[in-house]
Amino acid sequence: MHMADALVSPAVAAGAGVAAAALIGVAAHKVKTIRRENIIPLMGVMGAFVFAAQMINFSIPGTGSSGHVIGGVLLAAVLGPWAAFLTLCSVLIIQCLVFADGGLLALGCNILNMAATSCLIAYPLIYKPIAGANAGAGRIFVGALLASVVGLEIGALGVTAETELSGITALPTSVFLSFMLPIHLAIGAVEGVATGAVLCFVAKYRPETLTANARGAYDRGNRRRFRRLLVIFGAGTLVLASAFTWLASANPDGLEWSISKVAGLTEFTSKALPTAVMPEYNSTFAGVIGAVLVMTMLWAISTLLFHSLRRAEVPSRTKK
Amino acid sequence: MKTSRLEQAIFTLNARQMASEPDSHIGAIDPRALLVVTAIYLLAMLSVPVISLGMLIWFAVYPIISAPLAHIAYERLFIKSLYVLPLLVVIGIFNPIFDHETAFMAGNIAISCGWISFLSIIIRGLLSVQAVLLLIYVAGFNRMCEGLLLLKVPRLLVTQLLMVYRYLEVLLQEALSMHRARQARAYGKQSYGPRMWGSFVGQLMLRTFARAERIHRAMLARGFNGSLTWSRNARWSTPDTVYCTVWLIVFALLRYVDFSSWLLKLLTPMSI
Repeated sequence: MHMADALVSPAVAAGAGVAAAALIGVAAHKVKTIRRENIIPLMGVMGAFVFAAQMINFSIPGTGSSGHVIGGVLLAAVLGPWAAFLTLCSVLIIQCLVFADGGLLALGCNILNMAATSCLIAYPLIYKPIAGANAGAGRIFVGALLASVVGLEIGALGVTAETELSGITALPTSVFLSFMLPIHLAIGAVEGVATGAVLCFVAKYRPETLTANARGAYDRGNRRRFRRLLVIFGAGTLVLASAFTWLASANPDGLEWSISKVAGLTEFTSKALPTAVMPEYNSTFAGVIGAVLVMTMLWAISTLLFHSLRRAEVPSRTKK
Repeated sequence: MKTSRLEQAIFTLNARQMASEPDSHIGAIDPRALLVVTAIYLLAMLSVPVISLGMLIWFAVYPIISAPLAHIAYERLFIKSLYVLPLLVVIGIFNPIFDHETAFMAGNIAISCGWISFLSIIIRGLLSVQAVLLLIYVAGFNRMCEGLLLLKVPRLLVTQLLMVYRYLEVLLQEALSMHRARQARAYGKQSYGPRMWGSFVGQLMLRTFARAERIHRAMLARGFNGSLTWSRNARWSTPDTVYCTVWLIVFALLRYVDFSSWLLKLLTPMSI
């Protein structure tokens, strides 16, 4: 579900980035108020744990394929929603920077689609009411399954909306949705089974580590405050999205602008630019070829520069 | 023997740590300058209209020039960035299917806007990954976190980033040793069933809790008061300002000047 930079327009990336940054600010403030002694190191190692757990696949019976845990609901069940959100944000940032999973500009979108949906929507609204405190294995399993499915489906909707608003792909919204929703329903079910299996194991051997079992961790007042916050953020995002849509539609979009430009050039070049370099092709194509040639030359120079810098470095290091 | 995903992740992590060279030509640049330049590069490059392939290709200037200055061969950066190619192809391939409008004629062959935007998506994807890899190679993870802190990113998030990064290899190694122990007793059965996977990962999680408790005690013994402390090494200096200014001018030129048309105009009188 990691979105790449190539599929996001700067306006959508900026909108999602602002929303994600605001949520991170709120989460940082909320985590400071958590009265759990070892919350900071626990968040750190749990982030690393989710990363390691993602690397271990399990086989899905009867399909020949395999799946792994994603970790949003799992983290929220152990750390609570805000601490889990912050931890998942740090995992997403490391995945983006170190493992090139998801783009840097698309980071806001990825945080909203994966971390916010699972930790701040699916966990408190689905998992928590079903599983509750001191729940049995059945309730934990059903809660984890439903929360994972709902979280991933909302995330898939988010990916579709952000991609379509960006206008980079020509894929119609209905077709995109018909691909995304069933695939993520299946992924959500697999994620739910995995999360349920791990949470049942932990509830059996270390029940006190699950946030829901900690006394007063999630009282009625917290829930009311959370709902109020959700409404504020929902309204804020809508306002922001409308503002960006208005800004985007006030000017011709990239495709319209470019097509008109290309059409103009074609007319011009068919009469005036029979270049000797590439006489059969028009200016746009020739321009692209020219740019590729220049970049190839630059690459060659860059390689030479790299080797000469390296060569110059070696004697100086030996001297030391 | 087939390499497991755990081993691949450890290799990647080690490769990233080995790759950062603080003594390279741009290794001394302030991490804030590197972050700002990378962010503006991505914004400028991604704001180029999808169909303007001629303008987009020129943005390769940044990784091509910066890679040797960071003591990295551009080929290596390019090959690493190919990792995202399958995803880009899967999403981008729909453009030629749905967008048949002719962009231009190459001889007798009509090239559709869909194919142009498909190529554009791939180039955007590769260049953006190259820029991010370059950032992490040059700055290194710890210096980059210091830069984020100086850019007023919440201290708690930066603490988290550093802790997750620090314990990533430890937990990957722990998971790998458990995985190997299980493989040695599995009589050739490679995959995990859901029930076994649940206890395996659950066991890893219990070990994680135990580790968190040990780390917490060790941190308290060293005077931990809620957030990590940094000795501030980064200092903004004239080379950082020059680095930012030069690249920002280059990005502005690349974004607003169509060098492909300009190059063509330059070449045309020569050919006549």
